[in-house]
Amino acid sequence: MTRIALSLTINGQTHDVLAEPHRTLLDVLRTDLGLIGTKENCLEAECGVCTVLLEGAAVNACILLAAQCQGRAIVTIEGLAAPGQLHPLQRAFIDHGAVQCGYCIPGMILAAKAYLDTNPEPDGDGVREALAGNLCRCTGYQRIIDAVLSAARALRTSPPSQAAR
Amino acid sequence: MTFDYHEPTSVREAIELGARFGGDGRFLAGGTDLMVQIHRGRLNPRHVVSLQCVPGLDGIEVDGAVRLGARVTHRRLESAEAFQGALRGLAEGAEVVGGHQVRNVATVGGNIVNASPAADVVVVLLALDATLTCLGPAGERTVALDGFATAPGVTGLRPNELLTRASFPRLAPRSATVFLKAGRRRAMEISIACVAARVTLDDLERCQDVRIALGAVAPTAIRARAAERHLEARPLTDGLMRETGRIAAAECRPIGDVRASARYRALLVATLVPRALARCLERIKLGAP
Repeated sequence: MTRIALSLTINGQTHDVLAEPHRTLLDVLRTDLGLIGTKENCLEAECGVCTVLLEGAAVNACILLAAQCQGRAIVTIEGLAAPGQLHPLQRAFIDHGAVQCGYCIPGMILAAKAYLDTNPEPDGDGVREALAGNLCRCTGYQRIIDAVLSAARALRTSPPSQAAR
Repeated sequence: MTFDYHEPTSVREAIELGARFGGDGRFLAGGTDLMVQIHRGRLNPRHVVSLQCVPGLDGIEVDGAVRLGARVTHRRLESAEAFQGALRGLAEGAEVVGGHQVRNVATVGGNIVNASPAADVVVVLLALDATLTCLGPAGERTVALDGFATAPGVTGLRPNELLTRASFPRLAPRSATVFLKAGRRRAMEISIACVAARVTLDDLERCQDVRIALGAVAPTAIRARAAERHLEARPLTDGLMRETGRIAAAECRPIGDVRASARYRALLVATLVPRALARCLERIKLGAP
């Protein structure tokens, strides 16, 4: 099968990739670019572990063709904060014990990020609804909700530096 | 599974590609249905024609009529100012589909051509008397949404055609719309049954114009015509609304499946229809613009 040359902008960096046209962004992120923070599970846009930000909106990378992403800004969990630093959402997830096995967490955090960007003062129901597309089989969700609400408060008082997106 | 990827930059080019590939090609919008079908091996197109760079398909126009471009996402329906008042039912239908990730990409056009009997937004559009614009090499034609889907996954769209928009007339004064859905949980759920209602009252509080549409209780989304007729020129009393619910339940043709029995679905229709009508009445009385 012919491969096509793709130029993808991920976490502010341009990556040139040769990929077959049917390959998903998820597959290219993990296999070609080694960005394995984005997880793979249902491949049917049900579970949310593959959530990335596309032009700031949360999307499922498992049903998005890499070819569709040319010229559009993508953020993965690796790009949420500057290297060696934590985004307030990541800090809050740790502080609240919101992580057990961790598999759903990159998707949870990115879905929460997209939500808080447009809803800086959420309530619990809003956060639950925003994370409806992210399944967690360990935590029972409450600590995740608590972490997002706490991160929202932290972001209101001290927004992250520009290095974090 | 493999295919060639095409990214036309005009409607004309998209139509040409669609016509050239015929049954070997598929248009791609949000991918929430198409990509899943491809992953499952149920569809194996040789050519995927992305609509993302085709201009003119993502507009929400509200003037004489309301026109929704095929590529308008569910997220935009739920947040559009135009659908917060009397057309609130449209936002209500959109906001219960999937999670944010799905609604950010899933489109009105995709919802229509995928022809799921449980397509929530389609049920609302049925209640709004929507028409569809299909564009092919021979030109444009307009067809009614009612009857467009003929079976699960089957529509009247011809293989070389592209659905470009759904349109519906502006609502008369003293109108309201409501969408109600029953599922086993509040989010990320396929409807067990859903109902959309549109009510216009005359000056004497009688039903001047009513539509009742049902989802997930027949092979396609349907209108409950006998129920609509039952309300003609009558005031919406509690008793009449309950009767109308029973009539709607009698005219739907639900199946029993993993989500619910046929009998339970019919019971839901009998409950949701009067509830939707009552809520329309309430909204008209509150003077929703």
